[in-house]
Amino acid sequence: MINAAINFADGTGVKPVQLCVTCWLDCASCRRDTFALPLAAVQQLNQITLTSKAYEVEDFAAAQELYHSSGWTDGLPVVPPTESAVTACLEWALMPPDQLIGIEPVREQPITAEKLAINAVMAGCLPMHFPVVATAWQAMLKEEFLLHGVTSSTGGSAVLVIINGPIRHEIGANSTFNALANSDRATAAIGRALRLSLINLLDVRPGGIDRTTLGHPGKFSYCLAEDEEDTTWQPLSAVRGIPEGLSAVTVMAALAPRQIMNEWSTEPREILETFAAEMRANQRHYSIYGGNYVIVIPKQLREPIQAAGWTKRDIAEFLYERARVRRSEWADVGKGAVVRDRGETIHTALESPDHLLVVAAGGPAGGFGAVIPPWFGNKTKAVTAAIGACVDCERG
Amino acid sequence: MIIRVLDPTNEMKAAGGQQAVRPATLKGKTVGFISNGKEGTKGYFAALERQFREVFGVADVVWRTKSNFSAPADSSIVDEIKAWQAVVAGVGD
Repeated sequence: MINAAINFADGTGVKPVQLCVTCWLDCASCRRDTFALPLAAVQQLNQITLTSKAYEVEDFAAAQELYHSSGWTDGLPVVPPTESAVTACLEWALMPPDQLIGIEPVREQPITAEKLAINAVMAGCLPMHFPVVATAWQAMLKEEFLLHGVTSSTGGSAVLVIINGPIRHEIGANSTFNALANSDRATAAIGRALRLSLINLLDVRPGGIDRTTLGHPGKFSYCLAEDEEDTTWQPLSAVRGIPEGLSAVTVMAALAPRQIMNEWSTEPREILETFAAEMRANQRHYSIYGGNYVIVIPKQLREPIQAAGWTKRDIAEFLYERARVRRSEWADVGKGAVVRDRGETIHTALESPDHLLVVAAGGPAGGFGAVIPPWFGNKTKAVTAAIGACVDCERG
Repeated sequence: MIIRVLDPTNEMKAAGGQQAVRPATLKGKTVGFISNGKEGTKGYFAALERQFREVFGVADVVWRTKSNFSAPADSSIVDEIKAWQAVVAGVGD
């Protein structure tokens, strides 16, 4: 760690900070041995030189045609990534252009901050959104996420991003109305940035690396923020080991949300039984194997569960017990050929209660909720990472 | 107004690998079949093995199955490839 001073772009002025020279972020928890870096070197961040190939186009419309005809979009218009817009993202995150976000392990493709920032700008990200995008990528590159598998599979998952912590307010993420869809600018752009960067940095294009049969609309953007203020529950990131008060992202290879409705009970077990039934339905109709599941519980269903004293852990233990099917049930839905002599085998939707991700989010009215199933069993794991912390640092 | 925009693709390509030399004939060769572990590979590879032996005179066919259908082949399988003259890798959805 080295001591330095940063002139913060948010108008709060020059502040002393500790910088980790590995991650270049203000990272108070980093215990990595580092070498001294002069303040002048930090200030050089203000003189960023980009190395990406540049194209000159006549106007906005010409830029769209260049990007669409080159296969660089998701089919929607993009924000032209100019040097100034990309530089602003890098400056905000205190990242030099050549900072290595990580290396995709199967094809050994390096992901740099500059290339990621270009895609973030194209998606509509503001500079303040970029640290979320960068951290989500660091999480996606963890081995347990199995990025190549989840982005190339015929199963067609999308990368679901869940944001926790104070950064939700800084970026203007909305956790209430329409939480899983077009709720706000920040989550829409951040989710889209992941898809555009997968397309352009790892060639995850339909029919190319992406062999998806159907896919789902979350492949355009799939990002939500947890409503931490209107719940008594711990934030998801804290449940998953990130100290409370830190901002964090959780990524999961996820199928489309399956919406449930129960407006006719305030009894926690009855409400959660509806969620369990939907998880069982996913096991019967899609994949019987256990993995991470997300359940999103909006206010109307959340309040009676909270009032009864149930924690997220209580919910996870209940659903671990209730969301399970007998293999012979596959015969009821046309899959008898793979039951064989294992009809009595019990398959749990969750391999353990720890594999359930409970998220408080959604508009204030309506007895709805959502079950978000995993791409395929335990082949991939959800990953949570703190924003603004070195991903390799040890926590004291 | 001219706009200067940047290339979003990964210009820094990974080193990657090189395509192996193609065998001139399969006669007398050993061919490896690497299944992704799904049901569909069984019937397909069985039919392919018959053709390879009967039509192309392949001497031996080695069947291997990946432990994770969405991940690269296990290192133990990759190590075995050196002893084969051709490989068929298949998805059996």
